[in-house]
Amino acid sequence: MSEMVPDYITPAVRAVIGAVSPPQLATHPVEPSEIRRFHQAVMDHAPRYWDEAAAARYGGVVAPMGFPVHAHRRAEDQEDPLAAMDRPDFDGVDRALRPGLPEVVVPLKRLMNGGYEYELFRHARPGERIVLRSRYADIYQRNGRTGPIVFVVIEDSYETETGERLLLSVNTMILR
Amino acid sequence: MDGTAGAIFDDVEIGQDIPTLVKGPMTTAHIMRWSAAMENWHRIHYDWKYATEHDKLPDVMVNGSWKQHVMIQLLSDWVGDTGWAWKVGFQFRGMNVPGDTLTAWGRVTGKQERGAWGVVDLDIGLRDQKGNEGTPGTARVVLPRRGGPPVPYPFDPAVLG
Repeated sequence: MSEMVPDYITPAVRAVIGAVSPPQLATHPVEPSEIRRFHQAVMDHAPRYWDEAAAARYGGVVAPMGFPVHAHRRAEDQEDPLAAMDRPDFDGVDRALRPGLPEVVVPLKRLMNGGYEYELFRHARPGERIVLRSRYADIYQRNGRTGPIVFVVIEDSYETETGERLLLSVNTMILR
Repeated sequence: MDGTAGAIFDDVEIGQDIPTLVKGPMTTAHIMRWSAAMENWHRIHYDWKYATEHDKLPDVMVNGSWKQHVMIQLLSDWVGDTGWAWKVGFQFRGMNVPGDTLTAWGRVTGKQERGAWGVVDLDIGLRDQKGNEGTPGTARVVLPRRGGPPVPYPFDPAVLG
């Protein structure tokens, strides 16, 4: 007899499938030094990120293509996420996996990034504020050898404030 | 010229390997630099005790959020400022830890003319120094044809017809 495997896709979890965030405006415009820190940390030194002449095709220097995925930072008046670090089980990541989406409440403590599917249209530029709309496209459970695994599939759309599309993303997060 | 000239569709052959992109050896400092720049507070990237005892991982982890941009750079380096990396997808199946040297690679699996341009499909991946493939994926890029117009920017798939 196999042991009973708990079903973590409870009515409360099922209720957030399909949840859509209101448009989330990035706290700050894209800043040149944020672009610099990003491309230096990736170790991608393409001149389009810092040399106006080399970036003529784009109308001036641009952020790396994936920059918008990280543009939604903590606002000045938001709670300090490090305030919860004294909880030994807190891993540092909010279970509302995107701003404006509800938490996915399952009692699984380990979070891993499962991967991305991107469609890319345009780089963000300094001075632009990025708008994010997110949706829990699906949440489902698979029972692996090591126990239950919950997959959270998130669709994200990134645009400029004037509605020019930057990129679309489908991200799978894994709780186990 | 302005920017970097990338691959030309006419020169691409199915089965061809595109230039690899090597990162590393990765260290805890590289992980910290990325995590701090992104304000990513996930403990598995900087808290060794938490990573190994709570999450039962072999070490602190190289960020998946960082690896995704390496995969995008692999393609943007190849298509330069004349083509466009249109679609990129991959799964994080393997873990990477400090000490790993990562090689991003791509191999052409298909090509077709679309409008005035060419579309090229690739398998892509990120391999560690032991040959482990941790990030399998696929990509689709748009390239100019020799003597043809550049790929329009911003990119709109509708131009391909």
